[in-house]
Amino acid sequence: MSDNDPDKVWPTGLTLREAEEVHSYLIDGTRVFGVIALLAHVLVAATTPWLG
Amino acid sequence: MNNSKMWLVVKPTVGVPLFLSAVAIGSFAVHVAVLTNTSWVSDFLSGVPMGTGDQTAALERDAATAQASFDAQAMDGQAILVTLPDGTTARAVIELPKALAAAQSGTLPDG
Repeated sequence: MSDNDPDKVWPTGLTLREAEEVHSYLIDGTRVFGVIALLAHVLVAATTPWLG
Repeated sequence: MNNSKMWLVVKPTVGVPLFLSAVAIGSFAVHVAVLTNTSWVSDFLSGVPMGTGDQTAALERDAATAQASFDAQAMDGQAILVTLPDGTTARAVIELPKALAAAQSGTLPDG
């Protein structure tokens, strides 16, 4: 019963494929958050005395 | 995607809200820190031109400095060192107001 055994039942009951699917959504969401935050920081740097 | 196996151990119904809450709380803390340590964010939120907060704070500080009180009676004629708002110092002499002789006798000219 090694970790790579496709028939292994993990504590959460998810299969490896399902775990990777969930994780991909989280990664994509984090990227969108990052782009929005980057845009916000550029606007703040341009319009406020933050960076002088 | 090397961390995807975490969902084999942490239930997504627990891990995802926890992850999003951590990001939200962290982001909120940073906003509060910037709001409390700068004046221009509160200027922006109250719709006044940026920098107004600093100017009013400087005026209040100068006004507070100018309100230093002295016991004039005891210091009549004495010189004191005054620090001006721009950091330079000046010497000032305290002179009690001299009442006019005419005022004391109550015979002030009319009009």
